[in-house]
Amino acid sequence: MPRLPRRAVPYLLLAPGLLWLAFFFALPLYFMGRVSLEQGSIYEGFHFAWDFGNYTDVLSRYDAQLVRSFYYAGVATVLALMIGYPLAYAIATRGGKWRTALLLLVVLPSLTTYLVRTLAWQTILDDASPTVDVLKFLGLAPEDRVLATTGAVIAGITYNFLPFMILPLYASLERLDKSMLEAAYDLYASRRKAFLRVTLPLSAPGIVAGCLLTFIPAAGDFVNAQLLGSSRQYMIGNVIQSRFLVLTDYPAAAALSVLLMAAILAMIVIWVRLAGSEALIGAEAK
Amino acid sequence: MEQWLTANLSRRTLLRRAGGGALSLSLAGFLAACGGGGGGGGAQTKVIPKGKIADRLNFSNWPYYIDESVLKDFERKYGAKVKYTEEINDNDEFFGKVRPQLERGSSGGRDLFAVTDWMSGRMIRLGYVQKLDKSALPNVQKNLLPSLSHPGYDKNRDYSAPWQGILAGIIYRKDKVGEPKSVNDIFDPKLKGKVTMLTEMRDTVGLTMLGMGKDPATGSLDDALAAVDKIDKANRDGQIRRFTGNDYGKDITKGDSWLIYGWSGDAVQLQPNNPNVKFFFPPEGFTFSTDNMQIPVGAPHAYTAEVFMNYVYDPEVQAKIAAEVQFVTPVTGVKEVLQKTDPKLAENELIFPSDELLKRSYIFRDLPPDEEQELDNRFQEVIGA
Repeated sequence: MPRLPRRAVPYLLLAPGLLWLAFFFALPLYFMGRVSLEQGSIYEGFHFAWDFGNYTDVLSRYDAQLVRSFYYAGVATVLALMIGYPLAYAIATRGGKWRTALLLLVVLPSLTTYLVRTLAWQTILDDASPTVDVLKFLGLAPEDRVLATTGAVIAGITYNFLPFMILPLYASLERLDKSMLEAAYDLYASRRKAFLRVTLPLSAPGIVAGCLLTFIPAAGDFVNAQLLGSSRQYMIGNVIQSRFLVLTDYPAAAALSVLLMAAILAMIVIWVRLAGSEALIGAEAK
Repeated sequence: MEQWLTANLSRRTLLRRAGGGALSLSLAGFLAACGGGGGGGGAQTKVIPKGKIADRLNFSNWPYYIDESVLKDFERKYGAKVKYTEEINDNDEFFGKVRPQLERGSSGGRDLFAVTDWMSGRMIRLGYVQKLDKSALPNVQKNLLPSLSHPGYDKNRDYSAPWQGILAGIIYRKDKVGEPKSVNDIFDPKLKGKVTMLTEMRDTVGLTMLGMGKDPATGSLDDALAAVDKIDKANRDGQIRRFTGNDYGKDITKGDSWLIYGWSGDAVQLQPNNPNVKFFFPPEGFTFSTDNMQIPVGAPHAYTAEVFMNYVYDPEVQAKIAAEVQFVTPVTGVKEVLQKTDPKLAENELIFPSDELLKRSYIFRDLPPDEEQELDNRFQEVIGA
């Protein structure tokens, strides 16, 4: 049997993964980039034309939806962090033997499809429902309804992506070295100070990962806006969907997809720069 | 669970709102775009040749849009097993899905599908459907309602035969708003946030045009754009709760909306859920459209599809479908059949609108591609995309 050159081995081992990436990531990306520069209509056919005008065109027409997408995704991420952190902390530190069961409860709703859960919210939040009466009483429904408002869409996004926030947070909190906290207490740190100086920094990788896992899909989401919102809440995902499917305006839809991807990528780069890349990989990599 | 899910979904919905379906379809649309394609093949002129009846037939249609016993009867009579697929939830989505195949001259195994007027017109214009052999369709020749025989997009019904007719008007909650008086009631500030409109552009724009005293069958592009502006303003003011496919069923039965643009057959189907749901024919008029059976290019069993078309134009057969789906039947003689079997249904104006009523119905003008694109673009922008 001929011996493989040593240097080829790692590439051969990587081959399945690389092929996967090539077929399911690079190739579609190439096609999308290509389509985004095409001109034409379904009647005339589409042809490649280096038409960068597609980009400026969609940017000027759909800037509102783009900004709205990032605004909703940002608010939802912050909310998810505020809800998810205490929960993950409680499960990790106070869960005891119930830990696994509690974690399971976090993940359990995801066993039902995303769509059905969102549809269920339509029923929970319909105008005549007791939930809405309570919210009205508490002054949380300024428009006298919940469905078809911005609040409903942001709440829906937060709810749907919450597990993606909780799981990485839990993972980083659970493996937190208890002796560090003991050392802090030994050095007369208050509970509050120990949390701020020890627990929080050590759980940073979880926070960064959780925020990314929540923000990225949330920015591209269109289901919540469609089912719980109205056209006044539509996000960039809704526009892409309608451009592709309803208007068969493939170049504009592709240009929007590329823009969305580029914008998210830029945000990740900035976020990771600010948070430090080791935070993303995990502090233990040091 | 399943029952709960399907209860309120009738013909046009199911996945209309189900983003997941749309998501998978967007890939199809994307691949379609990649196909490039010459486009504009133009109408086919060769007629489907007669042949032997095949042992199967693949029919793609909208959900809840047939009495399935008709398929069994057809199989018993002609020996062709019908594979009936409820895969059309939205004209545009369906188009996005089949376009790449049709562009290559393949139908993806489909022998027959039913799409709405304007989409039928697009299929013809792009050369995606085959010319029918009228000598194979004696029932259609004889029983098709004369008023549906010469639509703008297919002057002599060479490429299409109506499946069912759909009236779009006002659906309202009698207990909440009383009797409506006009199509313009939908803009009444008292109903702010309690009205919905359809994502189907021709129905929503057409009804609004009628309220503005314009005729959707002959009105100019500017008239239509003015109607879109009016809808835009109402939407910005928060008058319109949202734009819907026929997932409006749940909204109106539960009371999230009180007065909406909707389709006749749905109103009939929703009444068992809530008897206060009523259909109203606005005095200004209402829009009418049909879904049309067409045979795509590359259909493996084209002749059998014609035989099936002819079969459902038998009044006895059509009566079963009409009784089940309760849309406007395009076949004459059905009323007489139903008078014997179900006299109450035979008197239903929603299935058998009187001539007087039909005088007030308008079919949206067949738009040339450039006008269609402009209007579609503007409308989609308003409804949020």
